[in-house]
Amino acid sequence: MRLDKVRVLIKREYVSRVKTKGFWISTILVPGLFAALALLPALVMSKTTTGQHLVVVDETNSVAGALAERLGGPSDESAGGESTGGDMGRVHFQVTIEDPAGSAAERERQRERLGRRVLDEDIDAWVWITPEGLADDRVEYHAESVSNFLTQEVLEKALSQVVQRQRLTQAGFDPDRVSELTRSVDLQTVKVTEAGARAEAGFAGVALAYVLFFLLYMIIIIYGQQVMNGVLEEKSSRAVEIVISSVRPFELMMGKLIGVGLVGLTQLAVWLGTMAALTAPAVVASLSYMPEGVSMPRLEPSLALHFAVCFLLGYFLYASFYAAIGSAFNNIQEAQQFASVAVIFLVAPLVLFPAVVNDPNATWATVASLVPLFTPLLMMLRIAIQTPPLWQIVLGYSLTAVFVCFMVWLTSRIYRVGILMVGKKPTLKEIWRWVRYA
Amino acid sequence: MEQPSLEIKSVRKTYGDFVAVDDVTTAVPPGTVFGLLGPNGAGKTTTIRMVMDIIAPDSGEILLFGRPRRREDLERIGYLPEERGLYRKMTVTEHLAFLGELHGLRHRDAVERAERWLERLELADRAKSKVEELSKGMQQKIQLAGTVLHDPAVVILDEPFSGLDPINQGLFKDVLAEFKREGRTILFSTHVMEQAEKLCDHICLISHGRVVLQGDLAALKRERGGNSYRLVAEGDLATAEEVPGVAAAVPGIGEARLILEPDAVGSEVLRELTRRFAVSEFRSQEPDLEEIFIKAVRDAA
Repeated sequence: MRLDKVRVLIKREYVSRVKTKGFWISTILVPGLFAALALLPALVMSKTTTGQHLVVVDETNSVAGALAERLGGPSDESAGGESTGGDMGRVHFQVTIEDPAGSAAERERQRERLGRRVLDEDIDAWVWITPEGLADDRVEYHAESVSNFLTQEVLEKALSQVVQRQRLTQAGFDPDRVSELTRSVDLQTVKVTEAGARAEAGFAGVALAYVLFFLLYMIIIIYGQQVMNGVLEEKSSRAVEIVISSVRPFELMMGKLIGVGLVGLTQLAVWLGTMAALTAPAVVASLSYMPEGVSMPRLEPSLALHFAVCFLLGYFLYASFYAAIGSAFNNIQEAQQFASVAVIFLVAPLVLFPAVVNDPNATWATVASLVPLFTPLLMMLRIAIQTPPLWQIVLGYSLTAVFVCFMVWLTSRIYRVGILMVGKKPTLKEIWRWVRYA
Repeated sequence: MEQPSLEIKSVRKTYGDFVAVDDVTTAVPPGTVFGLLGPNGAGKTTTIRMVMDIIAPDSGEILLFGRPRRREDLERIGYLPEERGLYRKMTVTEHLAFLGELHGLRHRDAVERAERWLERLELADRAKSKVEELSKGMQQKIQLAGTVLHDPAVVILDEPFSGLDPINQGLFKDVLAEFKREGRTILFSTHVMEQAEKLCDHICLISHGRVVLQGDLAALKRERGGNSYRLVAEGDLATAEEVPGVAAAVPGIGEARLILEPDAVGSEVLRELTRRFAVSEFRSQEPDLEEIFIKAVRDAA
């Protein structure tokens, strides 16, 4: 491969693509969409009113009543009374107070029962107050969705106020001690799942992983297809006949792959840069309408770097395949049938997505993320959710890099024959023969 | 003889059972206009593609500038393929600069030369147009400019005149004549014999992948002259073929071209002709290339 020739090819690919309106529209549109996606829910949530059915279990028997009153009015399940229509800010609460069971074992069963009721959507959430927890300024909050920021914020505020008031009372309204005692209570959010409660990676992290995963999926397909269309256009316009006298087919293919890849990287740089800027703490803090306790996903530089690596690996893997398809066929219709083969391999990680998010370090997820065809998307996802051991990342990247070299070799052998072949649609058998030509 | 610019030695190329080029050997003397002639499907394009290292011959050798072809020698060749096209979305100047840079020119040089060529081809006002906005004829001029932008010593043109209107054909011929004056070697292929006849110093006729005739055009004509006669007469001149000693008669309007058997004597044929037609003219004539070609193909068969 002669680099000076390939450089000229890369320049042509890059300049002619970056100059199009389409490139700039998509480059600007996607961060705009991202901003809208990230900020709209917060904006909308801060305006909606939601009715929340909340069960409060108070082992200390000192806070629940006041909390219910604060949120919705007094209520006692044993008395058969439920308070409704309480309005704390813009969130409507319906609070039910349950007495804690006698023994520790019974309490455990009570907790399970409450968890079940959440899953059955009988109640939205339950709060368990223990003396030890209260002393530590902590109250457990259990809900199916731990992302209902506004509800949590309101509840947190109410709890803090109630607890503060109680403490002040116990302290005999000593004004000198007020400032010391008005500490707020932290909500400890625990997601209720079928498997039981477990620590949560954080909604923000998952949201970011989600965005990055689909972005990666999208751009690998989009840029792969661009390579295919470019090759088809080159072939059908016969521009390739003129170029091929100065460069070898392999150089032409590499020029296209690298040129289009650089366009992709340029777009990514703009996208990730915007994302990083939008999610910087200072920017997030300045968004005054964001409810307290809502954390915007934050794009760490290392994550952006992994994203770029995964893009390059995935891009070269699939784009080389697309290039071969473009060279073998005469028009988009013919090529599209074979192009869908590439999409199948890209969709597989999409199907695995929810399971990987749920348990990113499961054995099968680890194995799947080490299969070169899936590594770009799945390793990216795992890194975004919970960084896997370094050896797995290195192994995954290395295996994929080797596989990319193999793919480029294989596809270039199809390309060098296909690019000058016009006429009838080749059969798979013929394409295989091209690969074996000396 | 001077070192040939290009030599093709016993080159053969098959596709499965089909023999596209069968043992072709020829040499292109420097500074000449060399015509690679033959009907469609004779193997002209395949031969040229092998010269350009686009396809590999099954056997045989190709020498450029007196030595086995190397990839960098191809930089000194300008090649206009038969099936040719341009990137539709690029502007004319961009495209020419791209082709120039591919041949190793620096960007600035390439742009400068592109501008000179656009001036020469009367396309200066379209320099900023996109290729897709140009007519087919204009695009062909751009392709020609792209072929020679890097000042090649050898110019190889595959069917350069196909699809050109007469005005642009004239322009292309002028450019070729200019190349020849500048001392470049020109190889072009065509299936139209009149074009070759007017332009070529040397020819190589191929048919079904085989060379049937080659050499200096003037010498070939001298060698093969003497057997061709122009007959002006009244009557059905196609029947002149029945005259003993006449190998072939190509009738025109009020005249015919007669090709005599090698051992026929002109005066005897004339005596017989005057018996059948009212002859007003009968004289020996240099054969045109088409006749030579048809005869050579017949002889080879």
